[in-house]
Amino acid sequence: MNDPYSVLGVSPDASDEDIKKAYRELARKYHPDNYHDNPLADLAQEKMKEINEAYDLIMRMRSGGSGAGSGGARSGSYGPGAGGGGTGSFAEVRAAISMGDLNRAEAILRSITNRNAEWHFLMGSLCYRKGWFDEARRYYQTAVNMDPNNLEYRQALNYMNMGGYNAYRPAGYGTHGGLTSCDICSSLLCADCCCECMGGDLIPCC
Amino acid sequence: MFGYVRPLKCELKVREYEQFKTAYCGLCNTLRKRYGFFSRFLLNYDFTFLAMLLSSGEASCEFEHRRCIASPFRKKCLCRPNPSFELCADLSLILFYWKLRDTLKDEGFWERLKARAVLLILGPSFKKARRNAPDFDERVCRNLGELQALEENGSPSIDETSDKFALILAAVSEKAESEAKKRVLYQILYHIGRQVYILDAVDDLERDMKKGSYNAVARRFDIKDGKLSEEDKKELKITLSHSAGMAASAFELLEQGMWTSILANIIYLGIPRITSEVLAGTWNKKQKY
Repeated sequence: MNDPYSVLGVSPDASDEDIKKAYRELARKYHPDNYHDNPLADLAQEKMKEINEAYDLIMRMRSGGSGAGSGGARSGSYGPGAGGGGTGSFAEVRAAISMGDLNRAEAILRSITNRNAEWHFLMGSLCYRKGWFDEARRYYQTAVNMDPNNLEYRQALNYMNMGGYNAYRPAGYGTHGGLTSCDICSSLLCADCCCECMGGDLIPCC
Repeated sequence: MFGYVRPLKCELKVREYEQFKTAYCGLCNTLRKRYGFFSRFLLNYDFTFLAMLLSSGEASCEFEHRRCIASPFRKKCLCRPNPSFELCADLSLILFYWKLRDTLKDEGFWERLKARAVLLILGPSFKKARRNAPDFDERVCRNLGELQALEENGSPSIDETSDKFALILAAVSEKAESEAKKRVLYQILYHIGRQVYILDAVDDLERDMKKGSYNAVARRFDIKDGKLSEEDKKELKITLSHSAGMAASAFELLEQGMWTSILANIIYLGIPRITSEVLAGTWNKKQKY
């Protein structure tokens, strides 16, 4: 493994506080949420692993090798692509998309004649992975129109409509534009739907 | 290309600004050295970005001081030609060559005459550039051909059309040394190319409507009067900002080097600023930044 200090971009005589800060910044940068449905998710995951190992190693070395764990937040295992179940060939499409085999996913989807909400949702996921965001959004929209109660479809559409504003930005490169009140409302509504699914409620009036 | 990919100057540090100029002048000098005097008119910000991106992992580069036609008295500091800069010089010529060939096919008499003149003057340089990067030449020819076919059929999809253009830029990633870097560069270049194509279509909307020529954005939103509605702009903003996000997340996976902070400025500030200006209709292609 490389020098753990250079992995975190700090000098070997940096204070614990500085190291923690550098670690947090990097962990924020390579967090799986920033690479959701991203073809480079595996590279980010590798980077994350490297950072975690470097941080753990430094902390161990500094505490005299007693094996102190890291204090930073950890992410669980992460797999890109459309999650959830599906039926028959739709499950195959989901598998192909999450494997990154977009040609196969497209071939299966094109051969399906029953174009229901899930078909549109998966077409959306496929387009998203290809970077065809305009069509992705329209497919998600159709999926939601056809099956307004499906949480997965609505989440995908909502993510699309957020326009990537939740993405990571390094310090000093502030957002231009940023969240509008409308985005916040739709996120709250979405959160409310999630709560209701699980039996709870976030916004009592709806 | 179009000059959309440039830093937001007011947010650059003085050091970064000076360094950016060494890349800009360096590419100009590389063009001159490789392809003669006239080729330096092809210099633009997009290819300067590409040159910096391709040398992104390098910790330093060789500089030299020299006078040039734009600065005949004071010597300027610039990057010495290196393989990344030379590749960008090749690409500038090849892309411009095929653009001229396009002009010969479907523009008016005077435009065609101008294109012919340029083809005549730069003929030998074009030939040399196409010989230097034959795989890229073939790629540009094929993709622009496919793009033209889509345009002739009046494709209503901005994704499908911008894809053809974005793939041209993305092809440059094949020059990277490692598999991982290839994938990262591919994503950055694809999504920047996609943004450039869409922005250019928005920018040319009125002109294309007047001339009655194909415009991907006009077809997508079914525009008749050359004006985008607020709703259309919102949709364009969403699709463009997803591409910006994809390019940025890929950029963060690149090895850091001497150009990293300038590239970050372009990706996080420069392109978003120009995107909002183009969508608001306040962008002027000719403006110096």
